[in-house]
Amino acid sequence: MIPRRGRGRQRAARVLLVALVLVFAASACAPDEETTGGGTEGTVKLGFISPVTGFVAALGTDMRRGWEMYWQQNGGKAGDVTVQTVFEDDTGDPEVALTKARRLVEQEQVQLVAGPILANTAYAVAGYVAGKGLPTVQMTGADDLTQRKFDPLVLRVGYTSSQSNFPAGQWAYEQGHRSAVTICPDYAFGWESCGGFVSAFVDAGGKIEKQVWHPLGTQDFSTYVAQARQANPDVVFIGSAGGPDAILFYKAWTGFGLKDKIPLVGNCCFADQVFLREVGDEALDLQSFTYWSEGRDSAVVQNFVKAYEQQHKEIPSLYAAGAYMMAQVVAEALKKTGGKIEGADFINAARQVSLSDSLYGALTFDDTNNVVGPVYLTRVERRDDGTLWSVVEKTFPQVSQFWTKGKDAFLKHPVFSREYTGQ
Amino acid sequence: MSTARWAKVAALAAGIGGVVAAPYVLPSYVVSLLTLVFISALLAGSVNLLAGLAGLVSIGHAGIAAAAAYGVAWAAVHDLGLAAELGVAAAITFAVSVVYALTTMRTAGIVFLMITLALGITVFGLALKLSSITGGQNGLTGIRRPEVVSEWWKFYFFTAATYGLCLLGLAVVSRSPFGLMLRGIRESQTRMTSLGYSVTAVKFAAVVVSGAFAGCAGVLLAWNSEFMSPSAASFSRSALAVVMVIVGGTGTLLGPLVGAGIVVAAEYWLSSYVERWQTVLGVVLILVVLFAPRGIVGGLEGLARQFSHRP
Amino acid sequence: MPVDELLLQALNGLSFGALLFLLASGFTLVFGLMKIVNLAHGAFYLVGGYIGIATFTAARNFLVAVLAGVATAAVFGLASERVLLRRVRGKELPEVLLTVGIALVIADGCLAVFGGNPRSIPIPTVLSESVRLGGFTYPTYRLFVIALATAVGVLLYVVQHRTRLGALIRAGVDDRETAESMGINVPRVFTAMFVFGAALAGLAGVVAAGLLTLRPGADTDILLFALVVVVVGGLGSLQGAAVGSALIGLVDAFSKAWVPELSYFAVFAPMAIVLMFRPSGLFGRSRT
Repeated sequence: MIPRRGRGRQRAARVLLVALVLVFAASACAPDEETTGGGTEGTVKLGFISPVTGFVAALGTDMRRGWEMYWQQNGGKAGDVTVQTVFEDDTGDPEVALTKARRLVEQEQVQLVAGPILANTAYAVAGYVAGKGLPTVQMTGADDLTQRKFDPLVLRVGYTSSQSNFPAGQWAYEQGHRSAVTICPDYAFGWESCGGFVSAFVDAGGKIEKQVWHPLGTQDFSTYVAQARQANPDVVFIGSAGGPDAILFYKAWTGFGLKDKIPLVGNCCFADQVFLREVGDEALDLQSFTYWSEGRDSAVVQNFVKAYEQQHKEIPSLYAAGAYMMAQVVAEALKKTGGKIEGADFINAARQVSLSDSLYGALTFDDTNNVVGPVYLTRVERRDDGTLWSVVEKTFPQVSQFWTKGKDAFLKHPVFSREYTGQ
Repeated sequence: MSTARWAKVAALAAGIGGVVAAPYVLPSYVVSLLTLVFISALLAGSVNLLAGLAGLVSIGHAGIAAAAAYGVAWAAVHDLGLAAELGVAAAITFAVSVVYALTTMRTAGIVFLMITLALGITVFGLALKLSSITGGQNGLTGIRRPEVVSEWWKFYFFTAATYGLCLLGLAVVSRSPFGLMLRGIRESQTRMTSLGYSVTAVKFAAVVVSGAFAGCAGVLLAWNSEFMSPSAASFSRSALAVVMVIVGGTGTLLGPLVGAGIVVAAEYWLSSYVERWQTVLGVVLILVVLFAPRGIVGGLEGLARQFSHRP
Repeated sequence: MPVDELLLQALNGLSFGALLFLLASGFTLVFGLMKIVNLAHGAFYLVGGYIGIATFTAARNFLVAVLAGVATAAVFGLASERVLLRRVRGKELPEVLLTVGIALVIADGCLAVFGGNPRSIPIPTVLSESVRLGGFTYPTYRLFVIALATAVGVLLYVVQHRTRLGALIRAGVDDRETAESMGINVPRVFTAMFVFGAALAGLAGVVAAGLLTLRPGADTDILLFALVVVVVGGLGSLQGAAVGSALIGLVDAFSKAWVPELSYFAVFAPMAIVLMFRPSGLFGRSRT
């Protein structure tokens, strides 16, 4: 008699064997072929991913609003073609972003995916979508997306993380500053942002006294502000990812009385609307280098700001503007291709888009699918109705992701990191 | 056979049948979700091994899985081939599990929980810091599944089969003398020591064995996403694994699978339709605790036992 | 490092530690008395803080904002304990899962109502000046937080060890049956403690809104710190929470200054060291 325990094991083993055999047998027969990229005559279906919940929920919500606003203003059409969007939430997590991209491509059969925003989610999504042969449009800043990791199916409607900071470095030197301290978060976005400032500042002849790297999500910046103060530089560059980090940094900065003592220059995403809403008047006269200035004296910008404010009761942030730009470029490309979205052809058409003015200004694309456009030196001012916004002090036109170096010379260097900081 | 046994066999057959039939009747996206359920269930199963048998709740096991996944990712990115991917993953899984085991073998309860929490976050932090190896925050792209299982449905069967094998392994461990030792430790550590068992040695082995299953989950994870980033080691991933175990029924064999199904359904499927999916998940957890305090499978088992006692 | 810098970092550490104490004290008291690991504690902190911010925006009065935040968190605590937690008293894992569910619902509710933007309380003008300490200026608000936490700590200690209420509570912890047979309504005492713990979390939230920002995920971030503090100090011990939060705050500040690459894991170092020599924490009672 087989003891009970042994009998149980025998049965379990038998069941499992049967199951495995079934599975192996089944895996020999392929199910129906999955289809991708459907779309009825005269309509295109697009997918849009952004983090609407999670720690960057504010960015994702703004992105959705910006994208939707473009289609609203254009009757949901690009030329003769009707445009349908399916929205997904990636919560700021690459695993979720990837699964949602799968859903968009395989279940919703979209023809193109736009977004998300965080670099790791963008890399995951772009890798998957391009792998399926579909085009994708991104607004994340990750430098390498249009440099060493270039893919003909990926277009960035936006600037690399380092791009808008090159003019900052040069300008700082021209202002007479000879020594600088940089404060950036200790991850790729921070390395690339600081890298842009540092390489231009050092090339011009400046010296970097100290580079302060802080962990993302730092709650308490007093240490880092103290370090910056101790180095006693002519200027401090803050390359913030925005949101709570920027606000908390500035709280520490003003709290330690440095506001009127050391000149501070911010990157694209430091003194954005999210920051201004929270910080208020303390932020007046802050200078930044950015590609989105909501106070820019341009009809395109002001119409957008007015319409957005009417609908959402707040001035649009750079995330709303960025998503609007993505929609606009997609629409222009659709007009060029007559409503067809066919892989790299669509991206090529998008790359030909050239705008004399837009939310970002006069822009074109370079041959690695990145924007070449103006960078603005902005200052925070009070609008007539009392709200704060950034207005343009100086324009640096046609800034390329490769700055003044040219693609080959630029790519000889590795991507900005803790090891290669641009010095 | 009694009615109860017929019911069990029928349920088992239906389950296996469903699993095998899925790619033929369900859309590819849903099947990819099922693949994710199996992978999550495997990780939850590794947590369940420690929590269900030995009463040791680890809230850092995603760290072990992620470390293994990074092993695969690194080897893949350097084009070292399948054997290297598995070899590196196995080595890393063993090394990381040993670290977990050494630091926790003398602890229990809340202290065990906190140390595993710290270890999980440490793995997360290392994944961020060692960016030349791990790609840092941006992660690693360019991982490819093994050729033979690269298509979505083949990979699904592969994952399901792997899960089935691991499930058998977990069952074997649970019913073995080793499993009894773990249960003994949960009852009373002092009694076990007085019986001559080395409690620390048993705990050490348990964590390493549990780590092996977590490592398997990690390998599948890397191949599934063909992408790897530190968030796979995050505290919330480890916490969700624990939630899956408790919701499904701590100590039950199929509990982790049920728990994984619920959490994956909420996080990936429900979230496409309902923006407040996290509230829904929270309410589901609350309801499960109130009406099935031993978890869903635990509750079903209780019901089954009630029925089998009827004359 | 010059003395000024040392003092600066020490104050930074103590002010963050003070905030942690406000949060950890409630957590450790609830555990000590009721053996509940309340993972919704961070959510009470979050909702209290958000309500505090909203109240401040409306009423422009810091004290009113604090009261509103504390009251809100207390209400959520009351609802959680009376309606939900009471039904699973004594079962550890179900209790933990229940608090996780509550935390999810509250946190998502906050996201739905207050949105994803990081929010904070502009420091009340009377406290926004900086004070001259030796050779440098230091934000007054941070000193206020330290003072507040000290005051709360002293109050808790006095209540616990010098009042009848404290004796009642300690009795209920030591021997529930005897206490009940002596006419003490232990369930009501426990509810009151849980509500009080939640209220402390709410206070921490409003105070934090002046120091940091609140946004989705802030509840988990701070809860992790609180867990470390409580494990280092010893579960259930008020002195432990005080010493632990000061220690963790200081380690956090100095590690960010000296070894920023490791600041991520730095707070686990004291935890590891303490647990190696005293597994139940610095002031904890060992439970076999």
